Amino acid sequence: MDRDLYLFAANAAVWAGLCGYLVFLALRQKALEARCRRLEALGGDA
Amino acid sequence: MPLILPFLAVAGLVLGQYLIWFYAPVEQTMGVIQKIFYLHLPLAWWSLASFFTVFVASALYLLKGKPVYDRLARAACELGVVLASLALISGMLWARPIWNTWWTWDPKLTTTLVMWFIYMSYLLLRSVGPGGAGNAARVSAVLGVVAFLDVPLVFFAARKWRSIHPTVFGGASGGLEPEMLATALVCVAAFGLFWLALLLLRARQLALAARLEALSRQPQIKEF
Repeated sequence: MDRDLYLFAANAAVWAGLCGYLVFLALRQKALEARCRRLEALGGDA
Repeated sequence: MPLILPFLAVAGLVLGQYLIWFYAPVEQTMGVIQKIFYLHLPLAWWSLASFFTVFVASALYLLKGKPVYDRLARAACELGVVLASLALISGMLWARPIWNTWWTWDPKLTTTLVMWFIYMSYLLLRSVGPGGAGNAARVSAVLGVVAFLDVPLVFFAARKWRSIHPTVFGGASGGLEPEMLATALVCVAAFGLFWLALLLLRARQLALAARLEALSRQPQIKEF
């Protein structure tokens, strides 16, 4: 494989990894907000 | 978290990319592949900073018992494992064309891999949560303190032992050209801001999760 391809692959791997962690954080945030809304609704009924 | 922090981090990363591709000169011996260095170095350094944060936060949790330190240690460990994984991957992709191998059992690489396994076991321990939340936090804090023993070994491995891994800063090699040094420092600073933004965000998420967990345990609120 050409050296340019290794450089491209390393860049792609790093940014894909960082984006993957950002997606994980976004999904966690979404789940927490959904749980917050559920608890708020239950608190309103009580 | 200050709202400006993520914007500064993204601006820094964009500037870093510009400097890597259009400003930093191509190294004579290795050629264009050396540009991996500008990502590999910040990833490695900030992973070590993450594990130092785990150590300090774990020690503080054991001393003071405040959950905020436990959450900080957990957030830092997650981030450290992500960064260390990417440093290992980028290092392997750099090693293949230069050393003609994906991996070699060099002291620097071996201690880094051992560190990665130790902190992965920390995360595994957190996910299993032995003996309830409080006990899991204490056990993890002890591991967070003990695990740090490997981190100075990783940092000094290339300096103290015979290693094929280059030591750019403080080593016997000739150092960097001014343009290369400027690019490396901008990338380290940009990744530092990004690291801090992610650390604060994740710690805040863990605090919110803990609050929700406490709320849902109240007798008048039963989640369905």
